[in-house]
Amino acid sequence: MEPIDLELEEGELELPSEPMHLNLGPSHPAMHGTVRIVLELSGETILEADVQIGYLHRGFEKMCERGTWAQVFPYADRLNYASPMLNNVGYALAVEKLCGIEVPERCQWYRMILGELARIADHLTCTGAMAMELGAFTPFLWFLKAREMIYDVLEEETGARLTHSFGRIGGVASPPTPGLKDLCRGSLPRIVQLVEEGEKLLLKNRIFLDRVQGVGVISAADAVALSWTGPCLRAAGVSYDVRKAHPYLKYDEVDFRVPVGSNGDSADRFFVRLEEIRQSRRIIEQAIEKMADDGPVNVDDPRVMLPEKHAVYTTIEATIQHFKLVMEGAKVPKGEVYSYTEGGNGELGFYLVSDGSGTPYRVRIRPPCFPITGGLSKLITGRMLSDVVPTFGSLNMIGGECDH
Amino acid sequence: MSKLVLENLKEKFGAAILETHSDFGDDTALVAPEHWKAICQHARTHSALDFDMFVDLCGVDYPERGATGARIEVVLHLYSLGKRHRVRLKTRVGDDDLEGAELDSLTSIWPGANWFEREVFDMSGVTFVGHPDLRRILMYPEFVGHPLLKDYPANKTQPLVEYRSESEAGLPLEKLAPFREDEGMSFGRRTTETQEEPN
Amino acid sequence: MPSFKLDGKTIPFEPGDSIIHAADRQGIEIPHYCWHPGLSAPANCRMCLVEILPAPNQRPIMLDILHWDAAAGAYKPVQKPKLQPACQMGAVDGMEVKAETSPHVKDARKTVQESLLLNHPVDCPICDQAGECKLQDYWLEYQKTPKRMRDEPVHKPKGVVFGPTIVYDAERCVMCTRCIRFMEEDAKDPVLDMRERGNLNEIMVAPGRQLDGHYTFMTEHVCPVGALTTVDFRFKARVWFLKSVPSICQGCATGCNAHLDYDPRNNRVYRYRPRDNEKVNKYWMCDEGMLTHHRAHEGRVLETTVSGRVASQASALETVKKLFEGAPKESIAVVLSAQHSLEDNWAMRELATAFLGTTSFFVAGMAEGYEDRILIHKDKNPNTAGVKELCAGARPFTELLTEIAAGRVTHALALGSRTPPIDPKDLATLQSLRGLVAIAVDEGPLVDAAQVVLPATSWAESAGTYVNAKGLRQQAERAIHPLGSARPAWEQVIHVARALGFEMGLSKLREIRAKLLVSDVAAPAPASTPMTTTP
Repeated sequence: MEPIDLELEEGELELPSEPMHLNLGPSHPAMHGTVRIVLELSGETILEADVQIGYLHRGFEKMCERGTWAQVFPYADRLNYASPMLNNVGYALAVEKLCGIEVPERCQWYRMILGELARIADHLTCTGAMAMELGAFTPFLWFLKAREMIYDVLEEETGARLTHSFGRIGGVASPPTPGLKDLCRGSLPRIVQLVEEGEKLLLKNRIFLDRVQGVGVISAADAVALSWTGPCLRAAGVSYDVRKAHPYLKYDEVDFRVPVGSNGDSADRFFVRLEEIRQSRRIIEQAIEKMADDGPVNVDDPRVMLPEKHAVYTTIEATIQHFKLVMEGAKVPKGEVYSYTEGGNGELGFYLVSDGSGTPYRVRIRPPCFPITGGLSKLITGRMLSDVVPTFGSLNMIGGECDH
Repeated sequence: MSKLVLENLKEKFGAAILETHSDFGDDTALVAPEHWKAICQHARTHSALDFDMFVDLCGVDYPERGATGARIEVVLHLYSLGKRHRVRLKTRVGDDDLEGAELDSLTSIWPGANWFEREVFDMSGVTFVGHPDLRRILMYPEFVGHPLLKDYPANKTQPLVEYRSESEAGLPLEKLAPFREDEGMSFGRRTTETQEEPN
Repeated sequence: MPSFKLDGKTIPFEPGDSIIHAADRQGIEIPHYCWHPGLSAPANCRMCLVEILPAPNQRPIMLDILHWDAAAGAYKPVQKPKLQPACQMGAVDGMEVKAETSPHVKDARKTVQESLLLNHPVDCPICDQAGECKLQDYWLEYQKTPKRMRDEPVHKPKGVVFGPTIVYDAERCVMCTRCIRFMEEDAKDPVLDMRERGNLNEIMVAPGRQLDGHYTFMTEHVCPVGALTTVDFRFKARVWFLKSVPSICQGCATGCNAHLDYDPRNNRVYRYRPRDNEKVNKYWMCDEGMLTHHRAHEGRVLETTVSGRVASQASALETVKKLFEGAPKESIAVVLSAQHSLEDNWAMRELATAFLGTTSFFVAGMAEGYEDRILIHKDKNPNTAGVKELCAGARPFTELLTEIAAGRVTHALALGSRTPPIDPKDLATLQSLRGLVAIAVDEGPLVDAAQVVLPATSWAESAGTYVNAKGLRQQAERAIHPLGSARPAWEQVIHVARALGFEMGLSKLREIRAKLLVSDVAAPAPASTPMTTTP
């Protein structure tokens, strides 16, 4: 055979090429909660990324305008469905700010305990899923086992594993069970142990670290400019946590640190979340010590609280109270308020506008992962296709919250 | 909460700040829409205010104000990480038919405003002049109307993108929604659009 | 203008007004049960008690009471000012009244409300008044405490049939005596009275009589609680599902203002409530009028028919075209309707005068009936005066029959189907018409005889203006969506005009209303003058 000996110019060796459009469609195992990313690829490098959300938009804000203030609680649950208790508490605090109600101490500790348990569940889900998408299936299953323990506690307290609808204006749906403290004391060490075991598998794992370190880097200034909050912002180096900066409930009476990263890459986001789990455990343990074992849990205000059932069946006053609260809704004073708490992903804000009646005029939910997902295209542009999955996983975009 | 922010704004912009209040502890200023961008720029850059975080943007519909061209209230929440203070800036645009529902885009001041402005456009119909990519974000592109307006009924059906032929649809074409009266739940299916209004 | 101060606010008043009435005119509500702007003020409920500061140079009237001091755990004798009922105290210029700002008044309201609820049955789930009940509203605003009484409440008869229209529940009654006073003062028939004393009090009907007459529904209307209920409305709908529009009663030429309540979920009209209008019906409506809401759903014509068989609108209009082809315009009669609004009649008149060129106009409507000096007018059509305004030369229906019999009229376009009662011979006369098109709301002789029937919307399904016997133009707004295939009558007229080859150039109600204002004399009066709040 003779060698091919063609006289070719340099330029003729290059083949014509054009960018490829790849659709990381809404139905995709790694697209948590249905997000569509339309990528323009040149080889494996991403030239442009268009992140399209809205597939899980269920019209919460519109539906809230059609019920009463108390009927918003089931909607609030289904926002960040990995940590529903945090949303419930956030909304309850917002309405209580409008009504000028402060719940009894016991309730405040109780809400903190349930909230932090939910936060642990959220972080476990996020980090576990992120690890799984990179191939590390075992830590995922261990984290889920830990999450099951949390769900057991929450099921015992609220009756449901995920969508509790447990918050109420002026308190919670039912008082803490007698076994809450023992349950928490028993499960928390085991949960943290599982987290540590999972972490050990990943901390020194070359493959894992190569895939998350230096990937999806964002500077602190950029993160702030993009309105990021929560673990993603803290991983970039900005120490802003609503629980520390503007304490609510009893967060100023417990001792905990806020983990802050330095590089702003996916690895930092991953490890910040794991560290937050440990800090949440500290908060829960302190709250358990400080919560009284008896005493009122709900505020005793007939304008917002439902009366006891046996009174409703036997006295006219309780019937009227029940009737007014259920049919017309609690009459929240006229005005507008913005109330914010630290949700699983950052500053979860509720902007409520009341016209003085029992139906909300406007309920605006400020989802923490909405601006975070907005920054995704900036993170992945210029990176490779395979970086999309760990980056997106580290942001913890929960579809229900982002799209409300 | 300190009144520092509101006083600073009133000093600098005078008549453009139409109203202020601090109900429930939230400093709020209602500003004239023509000065929207200038006030926000000042809030971002002035050292005493230093609002580096764009927290939230939303639209609230007040149809009874439509006659005076102030139907949609656009509400902006800002936060300063350094100074730890917040402010709510509001402005009112738009009339009954959404004429004049336009505002300057804030994406050049805070890049994070991008998606929030798209959401306000999608849900409440306010266009942002100067926005790099103003398209719907939560609803699909063929959606008709702006859902969070008060005159958008919650049970409204949308004109679906039509199938061209029965084979494409997989069903006889008349079986596609809106369904006939005898199909489905009689209660839930009722829409307000069964017949045209006489007026 | 003389004025007094209520909680620091200046309230002007007419001489002779009570404090509560003057405040009500300004939109400030002082809680009350037994007071009503249209009735006398007996001051028996004691809910409207207010503190009136003594005039200068006058000592305040103070009462000695025992006040429970929780801190000390004992009763302490104190003095409190004597409170006066705002419904009976006439307003005096310069008076200072304290209601919300007085702790004694707050205490009084709480206590009065509590005592009214002492023996009240736990009926909210089955009581029709729930959702518009003053006991509920005032408990939430003023009392907010649970029941303190541990005894069994007093039991009284429930479901007492007072008459063919009203049922009474003695346990729910708060003995405000509004019903007694209404029957005596306004219906001029003092058939109700109170019996027994103390907490055994009940309302009763005079022995040997029933609660009957023409104004019994008003006793239910004035009742602030669910003690009196109408057989017509009880258990039919829950009021929080009902929406309201201002409407005009279609029963007679008085044109009483009303609220028409309907349920948008199933598009049904449920009841009327009187609307205040000083000039027309003050605060009341008669029984017959209250029952006319049934006309929206009963006896309706809802399908387009050709020769008695259901047809499509297109084929019906085709038939109209064929029927009227070549008909000489002198033998076409146009029948206007005193039951239809000005807009409907105007459209028909326009079609006739501007396009068809006919001059024989007739007006159909219901026959005359009972009248009294209180509200009921003998003309049972809501818009006779309106049709007269539009077409002064419209002849009565009986003349139409004569013309048809004489052969001078062979075709007719009729609006409405309600006519004075006719016998089978007259029906045969109508059927002898070569072309009769009826644009009708209800069943009637014209519908029976017509070749083509186009269904029209009733007063509840499209907005309309009606002129009452006194010449006052009043507007009724649309409540429910058009039923069946019904379209507003003016729209059907436009379709018929198009079928006959004329383009009327109109498509919206406001275009017709604009023309009504221009071509006819009096501008419409405002929809109603909202007066004081009724319960």
